[in-house]
Amino acid sequence: MERRRFLKCIGCSAIAAAAMQTDLLPRALGGLQNAMAFTYTDELASVEARHYRKLDEGGIECGICPRKCRITDLERGYCGTRENRSDTYYTLVYGLPCALNIDPIEKKPLFHFHPGTDAFSLATAGCNVNCKCCQNWDISQSRPEQTKNIKLPPSDAVRVCRENKVPTIAYTYSEPTIFFEYMYDIAELGHKHGIRSVMISGGYIQKDPLAEVLPQLDAVKIDLKGIREEYYRDYVDGELKPVLEALVQIKNSGTWLEVVYLVIPTLNDTDEEFRDLARWVKTNLGADVPVHFTRFHPMYLLKHLPPTPQATLQRAYDTARAEGLEFVYLGNLVGHPAESTYCPGCGAVLIHRYGYQVTIKNLKGNHCGSCGREIPGRFG
Amino acid sequence: MHMSRVAVVIYTANPDNKFLDRDKYRMMLEACFRLLASGNDYTPLIKRLFTKGTVGMKTNCLARSNPTAPPLVDALSDLLIKAAGTAENDLIVWERTNRELKNAGFTLNASSFGRRCLGTDTTGVGYDNDEIHSFGQVNSLVTSILTRMVDHHINLGVLKHHSVAGMSAGLKNMYGAINNPNKYHGNNCSPFAADVSMLAPIRQKHRLTIIDAVRVQYDNGPGFDGSRMAGYGGLIVSEDSVAADRISLEILERLRKTNGRPPLADTGQDVRYLVEGQKIGLGTDDLEKIDMQAARVDDDGRMTPGELF
Repeated sequence: MERRRFLKCIGCSAIAAAAMQTDLLPRALGGLQNAMAFTYTDELASVEARHYRKLDEGGIECGICPRKCRITDLERGYCGTRENRSDTYYTLVYGLPCALNIDPIEKKPLFHFHPGTDAFSLATAGCNVNCKCCQNWDISQSRPEQTKNIKLPPSDAVRVCRENKVPTIAYTYSEPTIFFEYMYDIAELGHKHGIRSVMISGGYIQKDPLAEVLPQLDAVKIDLKGIREEYYRDYVDGELKPVLEALVQIKNSGTWLEVVYLVIPTLNDTDEEFRDLARWVKTNLGADVPVHFTRFHPMYLLKHLPPTPQATLQRAYDTARAEGLEFVYLGNLVGHPAESTYCPGCGAVLIHRYGYQVTIKNLKGNHCGSCGREIPGRFG
Repeated sequence: MHMSRVAVVIYTANPDNKFLDRDKYRMMLEACFRLLASGNDYTPLIKRLFTKGTVGMKTNCLARSNPTAPPLVDALSDLLIKAAGTAENDLIVWERTNRELKNAGFTLNASSFGRRCLGTDTTGVGYDNDEIHSFGQVNSLVTSILTRMVDHHINLGVLKHHSVAGMSAGLKNMYGAINNPNKYHGNNCSPFAADVSMLAPIRQKHRLTIIDAVRVQYDNGPGFDGSRMAGYGGLIVSEDSVAADRISLEILERLRKTNGRPPLADTGQDVRYLVEGQKIGLGTDDLEKIDMQAARVDDDGRMTPGELF
C-alpha cells in the first residue's frame, strides 16, 4: 500500500510553530479536503481543571503531573497553562490549540498503529518539562498568551476529522498532559464518532489522570528521553522514575504503546545506556514493544552539539537487538533499512518505509504473511 | 570596601495607611535621591544614570488592588523629565500585559505622543525571538521592550510577601520580563530570581530599583489580601538591585513579626535568591556592606534622619 497522500502531506507538514503565523496556517492545513474556517482569538480559556486539591493553608496543589505544583492565588504552575484564581484552578488552554497539522501517523512516530494513515495533530502552548533539545520550544516553552491560538472546541476538532476523513487525532508537539481536559474531551467525543486518539507524550504524568484518560486513547507514544536520573535532572528538568512508572501503567492498560529515545551526542549515547534502556524495556514492557532511536538535530539550548552520527544510531540499534528487542527502529534517517518493519520470526519485510512513504509488503492482518507469526500492533 | 547605598524614605504623615498622591511620592523620591547623592542636588546623579535615550519602568501589576502606585510612576516621570531631560515619549511604563496595566489604573498609550504605557502583549511587541538569553539556570526570551525599545531601565517593584519566593520586591518583579517565568518557581525561586536579572538585556540596562513600600502586604501574597496589609509609608531606592531587596526583606520580616506572623524561614519561605545574587556578582546581600541611609519626611518635605522603623 503506497501512501497516496504523501505529496499532499509534504505540503502540510510544516512544523507546529508554523501555525503561530497567520499566513502559514492555511498551508499547515493544506491537506484538508474540506476547507475549514478557523478563528484566532486573544482570549484565554477559563475551564476548571480536573486534577487538583485545595490546601488547608490556602492555595492549591496541581494533580496532573509529578511536579505537584503548589500554586497561590493568581499564580500558575510550571507549565504556564494552569492558574489559581481564588483557589479554584483553571486551565487556560482548553479549546485553544496553537498548532494544527495533518501528519502521517509515522511522524509521531507510531509504526505499528494503522500504518499509512493520517492524524489530525494539535497542540496548545505549554509543557511540564523543559528539554534542552526541544524541537518545538517556541510553543512548548510559551504561555498561552504568547502564542497565536485558534478557537477549536472539541466538537470542531472531531468535525475536522469527520469531514476530511482523517481517522485519528494526535495530541502532540508540546505536551498533552498539560491540556489534559481538552485532550480527554476530544478523545471521548471522537470515539463516539469513530475517530481514534493517540497521545504523543513525555509520560511525565500522575497515575490518576493517566488512568482516567487511557480508556479514551488508542495508542500512546512516550519519549523516554534518557535512562539516567541525572539526564532527566540536567537536560529535561524532570524525573525519570515517574516516566518509567507511566510506561508500565500504559503497557498494563492494553493501550498500544511505542517508545522513542532521542539519541543526543555525548549526553545519552553510551553503550551502557542503550543496553540499560533495552533491558528495562524488555523486562518491564516486553520485547515486542517498538523502540525508536531517533536522530538529534541541534536545536533550542543544544545548538552547540552536532547531529547524531549514523554510526551512533547503528550502535543503539545493534545493542537493542542484541538484548532481544524485536522491533527496533531508527528515525530521522531517511532510507535506512531500520525504518522498516521485519518479522522477528523469519526476517521478512512486513512494512517497507522510506521516510513517510509506507508500503505494506508482507503483512496479513496482524500476522506475518511468510511465517504466520503474530505481529503486535493495530493493523486493522 | 565597596558599599552599596540604599535609600529608605518614610512619609510620616500617613497614619491611616492611605494611598499617596503624586506630590507625596514626588517628595519622597526627591528625598531618596538626595540620600543617594549625599546632598541636596541630585540632578548630576539622575543625569549620570539616564543620559539620553529611552527609560523603561517595569511596574508590578499582578495584584490589581496592590500594584506599583500610578502616582509614584507619575512622580518619577516628572523627575526624569525635569532632572534628566528625558522626553515624555521616551518614558515607557510597562508590564507583561495591557490588561494588568489597565486594571491597575494606568492609561495605555503606545503612540508617539506622551508617556508610553504598554504591555509586552501589545501587537508588534512580544518577546524577542532573536536570541534565547541564558544565565545560570535560566534560559529565556526577553521582552522586546527591554531588548529593543529602552536604553535605561528602572525596576518599580512592590514590596509584598510571596508564598513561593518568600518576598516579591525588585528581583522577583523581573520575572515579568521573560517569556517563561513559570519555569523558575522551584526552590523558593532560587537561584532563578537572581539569574533572571543577570540576563544581558536586563543587567546591562538596569539603572535603579525603586520599591513601593507605602502599603505592604506582609502575608498571604502575592495575590491581594486586604486583611494582611500594613502601612509602612516607605520607598526604597538603590542602584544595587540585591541590596534594595535585602533592605526590603528586613522591612518585610519586621512587619511580619509586628503582625504576629513567623519569620519566613520558619515557614519554608526563606528568601534564598539574595545570597545567590551576591555570589554571582549581581549585587550586595551582606548587610555589613550595605550603606543604608534612612530618613523621614513630613508634609512639608522636611527630612530628618531616621531608622527603618
